[in-house]
Amino acid sequence: MKTIVLGVGNLILGDDGVGVHVANELKKHINDPNITIDEAITGGMNLLDLILGYDKAIIIDAVKSGNGENGEVRRIPLDDFSTMHSCNPHDVSLIEAIEMAKKMGENRIPPEIIVIGVMMKEMPCEFGDKLSGKVAAAVPKAVEMTLNEIKRNMKISG
Amino acid sequence: MKTITIDPITRLEGHGKISIFLDNKGDVENAYLQIPELRGFERFSQGRRAEDMPQITSRICGVCPVAHHFASTKALDAAFNVDPPSAAKKLRELMYMGYFIYDHTLHFYYLGGPDFVVGPDAPPAKRNIIGVIEKAGVEIGKEVIKHRAYGQKITAILGGKATHPVCGLPGGVSKGLNKDEVKDIEKMVKSCIEFAKFSLKLFDDIVLKNKAYVDLILSDPYQLATYNMGLVDKNNKVNFYEGKIRVTDQKGNEHVKFDVKDYYEKIAEHVEEWTYIKFPYLKAVGWKGLKDGKDSGIYRVGPLGRLNAAEGMATPLADKEYKRFYETLGGKAVNSTLAFHWARLIELLYATERAHELIKDPEITSQKIRNPVGEPGEGMGVTEAARGTLIHHYKLTKDGLIDKANLIVATTNNSGAINMSIRDAAKGVIKKGNVDNATLNMVEMAFRAYDPCFACATHTLPGGMPLEVNIYDHNKKLYKTLKQNL
Repeated sequence: MKTIVLGVGNLILGDDGVGVHVANELKKHINDPNITIDEAITGGMNLLDLILGYDKAIIIDAVKSGNGENGEVRRIPLDDFSTMHSCNPHDVSLIEAIEMAKKMGENRIPPEIIVIGVMMKEMPCEFGDKLSGKVAAAVPKAVEMTLNEIKRNMKISG
Repeated sequence: MKTITIDPITRLEGHGKISIFLDNKGDVENAYLQIPELRGFERFSQGRRAEDMPQITSRICGVCPVAHHFASTKALDAAFNVDPPSAAKKLRELMYMGYFIYDHTLHFYYLGGPDFVVGPDAPPAKRNIIGVIEKAGVEIGKEVIKHRAYGQKITAILGGKATHPVCGLPGGVSKGLNKDEVKDIEKMVKSCIEFAKFSLKLFDDIVLKNKAYVDLILSDPYQLATYNMGLVDKNNKVNFYEGKIRVTDQKGNEHVKFDVKDYYEKIAEHVEEWTYIKFPYLKAVGWKGLKDGKDSGIYRVGPLGRLNAAEGMATPLADKEYKRFYETLGGKAVNSTLAFHWARLIELLYATERAHELIKDPEITSQKIRNPVGEPGEGMGVTEAARGTLIHHYKLTKDGLIDKANLIVATTNNSGAINMSIRDAAKGVIKKGNVDNATLNMVEMAFRAYDPCFACATHTLPGGMPLEVNIYDHNKKLYKTLKQNL
């Protein structure tokens, strides 16, 4: 099962970069030719380009949540998001991009897309390259959850 | 309501907010846009190696990495007192055309176009690319996807990485082109020229041949007579990558033309207490509040600003379209905010034609792509981002570290104009307190035309174009809230 693990975020925007921190940590644990680990600082269309052709995509990202605690980690199937967007107004959401691609007959969309979300009440608005305490503490949790997600596949496909 | 106080508004972070104040008849008294501004860039960059700035700044914005990358690289050229070889400049410019191709395509078909193709009062669920495909057909959808991807590929071949380029160095670029790459790019570019022509024809058929849309474009709520700014070449033709900054007045006459190194003598920034966003204005004219006209120093940048600030396009087909643009919309300057969309497509055509010129240039495969740098000092760089003039300014220490950094980004240049456009659209469409989603969209159209780029985390989930519109009655009591993607 070809899997892509994508850490999404911006390393110069503090906690927003958490997905990339997690991806970097995962690289130390995973050495499997069927698993690609990459990072992305983009949303919508570009994100879709990166995951095309894989059987499964695991996207690790900061998730803005009204009811979650800062640093809580959750596994969220993509279908559970009613909207999922890069927050800039100049792009479409991943869900919209997928819908569009399906309409065009695109057949390389991963059948399973899972988001490992690190919850945040507010997104950072200040430049910085460090994670805050609670979000830094979420990194090992997110690593473990991602590893479990990968193992789950192996059981199913194995 | 005679005076407006803005107590209900707090400065906000994280998403965009429009506040509309009604008078006692329920008509619009005033409207304000607040968008988040990322802070602390100067402090963040202090002490970093100057050569890292093109990579760092390309991460400021998930939308314009290429524009920041080269504004930064050009500021470093100046700071290290080095002029890149002409082949390196051509490679940079070619890559820049790839960026314009994908960016302008994305905006027209996905973001701005749906208002026209599907209709401004269509339900939000239909006013998107899916609605465009349903109306225009799957084949067109495939062309859109293909050519947006071509723009990305051209950028990736030249830049080393699809979205965040790593090629720009002070004095040149790190990577040239081989013959196979040239062949690939040429094939893509030729196809893009046809696609741009098709897009203009589509705009003709759907928008210009529909009297209701032309009336909408020319209607009062969407007019704004500010100054206009953009980069021009030595013939005063639009240029995205280099040239002088030219400013024209409301009638299209030259107001001033200057080198980026003099920008701080020409531009000042006004601060308002209700927003973090600064309002740049022309120093020589002065700040007169959020007003248009000759006495107010507010200017516009971006596709419409650039076309107005120039005297034509430097490639033949785009220049023909340029002339038709002014003939159709009543001469210079065109002050219709919704004309941004047409201007954007003319620029798309220019980008494809210019890319073709560059890829056919024998020098494009030259391997002389970098010159040695001089001593570190101070430098400014300017490019035209897809959404307008972008300036980077660095002061380096003698060891080549960043001592001071200042950026003026495109959406900041447009901030005064965007605010006024929203206010005027709101005044035009909201009457007697009647506000619904269709009305909200008419207000949003004024804002979307600019293709604004909120400074924000690159990928906040669930995010969206997060916009909240709060409408206050004449007692400043919250009367209605419309939310989108929040």
